[in-house]
Amino acid sequence: MPEAVQYPELAAQLAAYYSAKIANGAPVKVTAMTRIPGGASRETYSVDAEIDGTSRGLILRRDPAASLIDTDRAVEFAAIGSVYGHSGLPVPEAIALETDPEPLGGAFFLMSRIDGGTPLNPFRIQDIDPHRASIGQQFFRHLGMISAVEAEKSALAGLIDLPDPALCWQRELDYWAGEIAKDQAHPEPIAEAAIRWLRANPPPPAQRLSVVHGDYRSGNFLHDGAGNITAILDWEMAHIGDPYEDLAWATDPLWCGGEKTLAAGFLPWPDAIAIWQESSGCRFDPAAFEWWSIFSSVKGLAIWISAAKAYAEGENDDPILAWSGWFTHAAHDLILASRLAPKFGVEVPA
Amino acid sequence: MSHIGMILTRLGRQLVTEITPALEGHYAGGKANLAGLVISMAGEAWDGAADQLSREIDGMKVLLAKGGDTQAATIAPASLKLSDLQTARDELAERLIALQVALESDASPEAAALNMQIWAFLLAGAGARMPSPPEFQPTDEG
Repeated sequence: MPEAVQYPELAAQLAAYYSAKIANGAPVKVTAMTRIPGGASRETYSVDAEIDGTSRGLILRRDPAASLIDTDRAVEFAAIGSVYGHSGLPVPEAIALETDPEPLGGAFFLMSRIDGGTPLNPFRIQDIDPHRASIGQQFFRHLGMISAVEAEKSALAGLIDLPDPALCWQRELDYWAGEIAKDQAHPEPIAEAAIRWLRANPPPPAQRLSVVHGDYRSGNFLHDGAGNITAILDWEMAHIGDPYEDLAWATDPLWCGGEKTLAAGFLPWPDAIAIWQESSGCRFDPAAFEWWSIFSSVKGLAIWISAAKAYAEGENDDPILAWSGWFTHAAHDLILASRLAPKFGVEVPA
Repeated sequence: MSHIGMILTRLGRQLVTEITPALEGHYAGGKANLAGLVISMAGEAWDGAADQLSREIDGMKVLLAKGGDTQAATIAPASLKLSDLQTARDELAERLIALQVALESDASPEAAALNMQIWAFLLAGAGARMPSPPEFQPTDEG
């Protein structure tokens, strides 16, 4: 059996910090600390703490030397705070943010741990059976609820600029196209062609500005094995933008487990869209959805290209970056080519 | 399968089936498992990597010649090392991107026809580069 406290030095630092900065000097003891696999963008630790005699489960998110995604932990912290407490949304409580790297060897934040859940491997969606439909209904209802949060009044709005609803697409495309240009190790003809197509065929303006999770998909929630989503995770790419960005990313073929008839691999498309419309208050627009769907695959490519660069340059040796820089990169290249080639007259097998 | 491919595949499988279970509960266990899957993928891809790059190089030369790029035919890898093949492929890919940009601003049927051929080539290449999906187990988080 592994030790309960697998990182004793970090545990001691955290206990001292928590006592001094959060618990007003009350005694704090870390009784268990394990690192959670994945989360290459931030080191993630599950922590059991005794705080003045009371047990509490915590999640510690600490910045690594190099990350899959270069984001501000203050934005992630504010995003969680923006949606926490909204009825029915299973989101942890944001507890503390520390930008000084001194106490724990890297900027970090703490949130409450939601117990009783396990992640779903997006490449083994069948593991959710026989609860696929139930999980799917919650998945799209929660997504719509996030989109329905009043973005302008959220904690996020205090940290980041609000985009022009007509130009959400341009801001996102500029950013992710820039990441590809900056980090690509090899010329990317498919990504370049996709970016040109997206610029030449902009989507309709956003129906509303909403909190965008940024990485809402199978694999980024916990479920209890009995058909219930217990926590929505990984808010590091959250921002304010067009709600179609999340809908398109959540239903990108990469995350659908090969299920073309099931949105996100969970629900028949009409059912998923109906739930999303009802809970978000947005109207489904096929033109907007198509643009954001193609954009999603470009965004995916950008993430995988950056991951490959971080791995190749030795900034981060987590094999998830090697995997992402290869398999998911290849997958998104193929997804994009399959989506765009028919627009130029190529017949693509069903 | 080549000898090197066989070794990589075996090592990858060993990491997944022998090393990972011994590290259960440790963060390193997740790393070992994913490393094993990636190494197995590398074993499979190793055998065909040079062939795939050579096909892409040949295909791009044909398309670039059709587009009037007379210099493309002179681009050749310095050797059959993967790194040299990749360098040649990248140089041709840059030229292919430039050709496609030019075709997109040309309204002629000839330009559209060549662009369609380029897309067919890009689609086929993306399909050929796609590794086999790894054999994730029910306990893997992916």
